[in-house]
Amino acid sequence: MSTTSEIRLMIDGKAVLAKPGETVLQAARRAGIAIPVLCEHPALPPSGACRICLVEIENLRALQPACTFLVSEGLVIQTQSPRVRSARKFTLEMLLSDHPLECMTCEAAGECSLQDLAYEYGVTGNRFRGKQHHYPIDTSNPFIIVDRNKCILCGLCVRACQHINGVEAISVFHRGFNAYIGFGADGGMQDSLCEFCGSCVAVCPTAALWPKMSIGQGRPWQVKKVDTICSYCGVGCKITLHVKDNRIIRVEGAWDGPANHGWTCVKGHFGYDYVHHPDRLTKPRVRRYLLEGQAKTRQGSAWEWVETDWETALNIVARRLAEVWSQSGPDSIGILASAKCLNEENYLMNKLARQVIGTNNIDHCARLCHSSTVAGLAISFGSGAMSNSIDDVTEQAQAFFVIGSNTTEQHPVIGMRLRQAVRQRGARLIVADPRRIDLCDFAEIHLQHKAGTDIALLNGLMYIILEKGWEDKEFIATRTEGFEDFKAAVMHYSPEKVSAITGVPMEQLYQAAEIMAASKPMAALWAMGITQHVTGVQNVMALANLQMLLGNMGKPGGGANPLRGQNNVQGACDMGGLPNVYPAYQPVTSEEARIKFARAWGLDERPIGDENRRGLSPRAGMTVTEMIPSILENKIRALCILGENPIMSDADTNHVRRCLESADFLVLLEIFPSETSLYVDVLLPGVSFAEKSGTFTNTERRVQLVHKAIEPPGEARPDWWIITEIARRLIPLLAQHGRAIDLDAPWAKWDYTDTAQILNEINALAPSYAGITRQRLERGETLQWPCPSPDHPGTPILHVQKFTRGLGKFVPVDYLPPAELPDDDYPLIMSTGRVLYHWHGGEMSRRSQGLLAIYPEPRIEISQEDAEKIGLNGSKRLRVSSRRGAIEAEAMVTDRVPPGMVYANFHFPQASANVLTSGAALDPISKIPEFKVCAVKIEKA
Amino acid sequence: MVNTATVDLAPLDEILKEFNGEKGAVIPILQRVQDAYGYLPKEVLSAISKRTGIPLSRLYGVATFYAQFHLTRRGCHLIKICDGTACHVRGATKLVKSLEEALQLSPGGSDPDYKYSLEIVYCLGSCGLAPIVVVDDQVYGQTNPESLIERLEKLE
Repeated sequence: MSTTSEIRLMIDGKAVLAKPGETVLQAARRAGIAIPVLCEHPALPPSGACRICLVEIENLRALQPACTFLVSEGLVIQTQSPRVRSARKFTLEMLLSDHPLECMTCEAAGECSLQDLAYEYGVTGNRFRGKQHHYPIDTSNPFIIVDRNKCILCGLCVRACQHINGVEAISVFHRGFNAYIGFGADGGMQDSLCEFCGSCVAVCPTAALWPKMSIGQGRPWQVKKVDTICSYCGVGCKITLHVKDNRIIRVEGAWDGPANHGWTCVKGHFGYDYVHHPDRLTKPRVRRYLLEGQAKTRQGSAWEWVETDWETALNIVARRLAEVWSQSGPDSIGILASAKCLNEENYLMNKLARQVIGTNNIDHCARLCHSSTVAGLAISFGSGAMSNSIDDVTEQAQAFFVIGSNTTEQHPVIGMRLRQAVRQRGARLIVADPRRIDLCDFAEIHLQHKAGTDIALLNGLMYIILEKGWEDKEFIATRTEGFEDFKAAVMHYSPEKVSAITGVPMEQLYQAAEIMAASKPMAALWAMGITQHVTGVQNVMALANLQMLLGNMGKPGGGANPLRGQNNVQGACDMGGLPNVYPAYQPVTSEEARIKFARAWGLDERPIGDENRRGLSPRAGMTVTEMIPSILENKIRALCILGENPIMSDADTNHVRRCLESADFLVLLEIFPSETSLYVDVLLPGVSFAEKSGTFTNTERRVQLVHKAIEPPGEARPDWWIITEIARRLIPLLAQHGRAIDLDAPWAKWDYTDTAQILNEINALAPSYAGITRQRLERGETLQWPCPSPDHPGTPILHVQKFTRGLGKFVPVDYLPPAELPDDDYPLIMSTGRVLYHWHGGEMSRRSQGLLAIYPEPRIEISQEDAEKIGLNGSKRLRVSSRRGAIEAEAMVTDRVPPGMVYANFHFPQASANVLTSGAALDPISKIPEFKVCAVKIEKA
Repeated sequence: MVNTATVDLAPLDEILKEFNGEKGAVIPILQRVQDAYGYLPKEVLSAISKRTGIPLSRLYGVATFYAQFHLTRRGCHLIKICDGTACHVRGATKLVKSLEEALQLSPGGSDPDYKYSLEIVYCLGSCGLAPIVVVDDQVYGQTNPESLIERLEKLE
C-alpha cells in the first residue's frame, strides 16, 4: 500500500490532519473538537438527517453537515460561529416544538443528547407553537418501550437494525410531519422480524426506545457502572451493568468489547434479571438425615431440606467425601466442573479432583457440546480450539461455510456479524443444515442434507473440489501429511452417491464446491449440528480436511471455527475440567506432566496406587457420560457438581434420574434449586456472574475480566470460596487415610483470598496462560491464548506458519449412518437444540421475566405434512415418544423442518427433548451422545 | 406466518418471476402488484418480503411514503378531482359534494360497491380546463356534476 497522503485543514483555527475519505466530523473528533450530533453513530453510515452538526465552511454559501461532508485540502471550518450556533438553535427549536417537555420524569434525562443540546443552546421548547403528535406509547412487547412522541426521526434505530442486526425490522413509515418509526408492516416489534437485540435502544438519542425493565429504576447519575462479560453464550460480549441499591437495573453493551464492539443479543441485553430472582439460594441446605446421623434415605422427613450454616454443611461434605474415598478409593468420586463458572473456579475443581482426591474423574458439559471438536481438531491440527478470531472471520472472510450452527439464535452477535458481512460487503454464505434456519434467508445456497449425513456431504464436496483440481496444491504439499490416503477415501464419494445419501441435489453440491473454490479465504463455522453425533469426531476431522484442502488454515478470514456454547466452556476445558488433561491440555498420561503437577501440588511423583496413596492418577478418568451411568454399577459413589444440571442437559433424562437416585452422596453448588437439586444431598448456594470477579475465556480463546458488581444474596458465597473450603476440610481427613499433601510445595496450599491469586497459580502451571496475568488484564488487555510469556501479545490466529502438531494431518473419514434410524415403530427423526430466547437447561432464562414472556413454553417444530398426517389442525398439542420416554408440548407447524423430522428444545422441564434422546449412542472417541438424531413417533396429544 | 388462505398469491408469483431477484426493484414491484390487486394487501406485502428477501418494514416504508400506493382496498375506477386554485374557483367543491350525494363516495374513500375511489389532488397543470377530473387515465375538462355522474355511471 502506498503511503496515505494526509489532508490539511483548519478547524476553529486549529490545524488538523485528516485522512482521505474522512468526513469533517471524523477529522474534528480525532482532533478533539466536539461537533454536536443527533443522528450520527460512529459504527453506522452517516445520513445527514438531523442538521445539528452543521458547520460553516469558508467559500461555501450554505452551512454543511459535518457528518457527510468529506475533507479536502485547505478547508477552513468554523464549528461554533454565531451563524452555526444560530442554525443549530433553530433546528432544536423546531425539534422541541413537537417533543414532550417532560424531562423531569423522562428515563433518558441525564443521558439524552437532545436534552444536553437544549441546555447548551438555551432552548426551552416554547418558541414555536404548532400541531403536536400524541402517539399512544407502545408497551406491547416485554423488552422495549416505544414512545414515538419522544422520537426525533434521526433514523439511528433504522440504520442500527439494518447495519448491525441485519433483519431490518424497523423503518420510517409515512412522510413529512406524519412520519414515524414502525416495525414490520406497522405492528408491534414482536410481530416483526425483531430479535430484541436492543441495538436500536443502544443508539436512540432520546427515550423513544427504552428498556422496559429499567423504567423507574434509577437515574443515570445514581448508578454505578461495572464492566463485565455476559454470562450466556461463548461469544463473550463485554457488557456494562448499571447498578443501583445492589440491583442491576439496566445492561448496555460496552463499545470497547473486542468480541461484540458494543452490540448484544436479547439475552445479554435484557436477560439479566434472573440474578435477582426470588428462587436464588441464600443458605446452605442439607438433607435432614445428614444432620441426624442416619443412613441415607430418599423417603419422608429424613429427605427434607434443612437450611444450615456453612460450617455444618461444609463439614458434612468433607466427611461424606472422605468416607466414600476411604471405602472405595479416589476413583469412586466424580467431579463435574462448570462451563458457566470462572476459569479460576474450574482450575480449583481440577485441583480438588487431582491434587486433593487423586482422581481424573473430572468433566463438564463440554462433553455434551464440543468434545468431538476438541478431540477431532487435536488429531488433525494438534489443538482443539477455534483457530481464528471473531473479528477476522467476520470482517475478512470472502465466504462462510456454516454447517450445524444455528448462528443467529445460538451465537447471536456472531450471527449478526455474518449477516452484516453478507449484506454489506457481499461475502458469500453457504449454510448446510437439515433445518431451514433463519440464516438461510441470507445464504446463497442452503444444503438441506439429512440429519447425520455430514461426512457424506463433506466428502462429496471434497470429491468435486479434487475432481475439478480446485484444491490448494501448494498448501497440501508444504503444510500437510496423509493426503494420498485421504484422497483415496474421498474418491468413493461421487456426487451421485452423495446426493442419494444426503438428499442434496447434485447441482447444489457443484454450486457449493464452486463457491468454496472461488471465494477464498473461506471460514468454516460449526457447532452442535456437527459434534453431537456418534461420528462427531469424524465430522470435525472431515471439516479439518476441507479447510486444509482449500488452503484456508492459518489465514485471516479462514480457519476452522467451532463456536463454543457456554460463556466459559473454552476456559473450563483449558483449566483441566476434562478427564484426560491437566490445565492447558497437558495429558494426564504423560509422566512429565504428572511429575510437574505432583511437584507443584506437594504430592509423590510416583503414580497413585495401593502402595502409594500420595500420587496423581496416571490414567484418564471417566467422562460425564460414563460417570453418571456408572453410578448404577457402584463404580462412582459420590459426585461433586459445580453449577451443572445433568437432568436437563444430559441425554436420556429418565436414565439420568435413576442413576442420580442411586448415588451415595451428591453435592451441588448452584444459584437456584435446579431439576438436579431434587437428587442431591447437599446444596450449596454459589453466586452469579455479577457477584464475583475473575476471568472467562470466550470462543475465540480470549481471556476477559469479569467484575463483581453486586453483593450476593443472603449467605451465598463465590464458588471459588466454597471449593476452597471443601478442599481445606478434605485434605486433613484424607491425610488420615495416607494421602498427605506437602503444603510447602509451591502451589499446594488452599489459602486463596481472591481469584487473582488463583490466576497467578494458573499462570505458573498452564503454559498457554503463562502470560495472561491479572495485571495485564486490569490494564485493559484481552489476550488470546496461547500467550506463553508476560511480553507475548497473544495469538489471534492459530496454525499460521505451522500447525500445533507440525504438519496438518488429513485423516480419511467414512460416512456411517446415525445409531438410531427411523423404523416402522418410530418413523421420524427428532433433532434437538436451543432457541434464541432461552439458554441451555433454562435455569437462567426461565427466570428472566422478558425471555419467559416472549417464549413461555416448550414448542416442537413439525412440518405441515406431518402435522396433517396426524390430524393436527385445531388441537395443537403434540405428543412425541421415543424408546426412552415421551413428551407433550405445543406444536409449531413450520417449514423450518422437512417432513419426517421434528425438532425439540431442552429448555423446559415439563417437556425436555432429553427425555427422548439416547444416552447409549456415544461417539467412540469423545463419548458425546448423539443428541441430534433419535427415532421418534408423533401423535395428537 | 403469512396467512395465505385469504389472498390468491398466483398473480404475485407471476410478477416476481418477471423481476427475478433484480436489485432496486421495490417500487416497480409494488406498482405491478398494486395493478394486479388494486391495492397492496398486507398479506401480499408479507409474501413479497418472504419471496424476495426484501424486509417487510422496508416495503411498508416505501408503500406509505408514496401517495401512489394504497394499503386498503380500492374501487375499480380511480377518480381524481383537482382542487387547485383554478379548479376550486370553478366549482371543484360542487363536484366532490355531488359524488358524495349520488355515489356515497367521499375523498380518500371508495363507494360501498368498490366501483370507484376518490382522491383530491392539487393542480394537474391544465388550469385552462378547470375544473378538471381525471378518471383512470381519461381527462375530463370543464366538467359539471351532472355530466360527471353520467360518465361515471357509464363505466363498466
